[in-house]
Amino acid sequence: MDDKRHDRRNGKLDRYFALARRSTPDISGVERGFETRVMARIRESREVREPWYDWAWRLAPVFLALTLLLAGWSVLYSPAPPADPVAMLDSGSQEVALLDNLTGE
Amino acid sequence: MAVPDEDADLVRSAIGGDDEAFAELVRRHKGTVLRRAARFARDHAELEDLGQETFLRAFRDLRSFRGDAPFGHWLSRIAVRVCYDALRKRRREEKDVSLEDLAAPVADPSTGNGPSAQFARILLEQAMSRLKPGDRLVITLFELEDRSVREVAALTGWSETLVKVRAFRARQALKRSIGGDDGR
Repeated sequence: MDDKRHDRRNGKLDRYFALARRSTPDISGVERGFETRVMARIRESREVREPWYDWAWRLAPVFLALTLLLAGWSVLYSPAPPADPVAMLDSGSQEVALLDNLTGE
Repeated sequence: MAVPDEDADLVRSAIGGDDEAFAELVRRHKGTVLRRAARFARDHAELEDLGQETFLRAFRDLRSFRGDAPFGHWLSRIAVRVCYDALRKRRREEKDVSLEDLAAPVADPSTGNGPSAQFARILLEQAMSRLKPGDRLVITLFELEDRSVREVAALTGWSETLVKVRAFRARQALKRSIGGDDGR
């Protein structure tokens, strides 16, 4: 199609095409300061696209790290319950006696 | 990323967040983009929109630019896609407009030496406004930008067969519309 394209240019339509190719559209008015307007629109689209969920996503790693830290801390530093159940009951009754004493009952 | 063209550094800087680098890319390529868009735009306002939309999409998708072709080629494909989208949108809006509502062909102001270039352009624009968006895109790239079938296929992302079919269909419609052969 390409090779023979120019050979068959003899009709009215092809003459119009040939003429129209020579007529270059005037873009000078739009071209002037075009990059400034494009960059302004880019900056504008950046400002618009700052909703809360964008920040939430950005802070997600921080939240994750905090959660892991808290989980690790609670596993490592939580006091282990006394192994002896009698001692556990005893420590419980001492607390009750102390409370009774303090409240005057 | 290996970018084998002179825009390589600017593209890298723009990806890195340097706005001035992207502004320089716009400065370098705005002429090519706007000249192409002018073949499809109805007025300067639409031309501005098409041009801006092309560069906004390019900015948004800059990270997807792999650099296996020059930046200008990549940008050309975006511009063609933007123009095609605009033609399709316009087609939907003009669905209710009858052919009689479209402007009648203007009279040729030139005398004696055949039609002028401007007359030919306006006449073709009016005739092409009745074509399907895909057919118009192909015939514009093929006949007015003098691109080969392979180039049109690369720009549009369509197969060469589809490009040929659309070009043929568009030519037939235009011949019916403005007259194809005059015996010479």
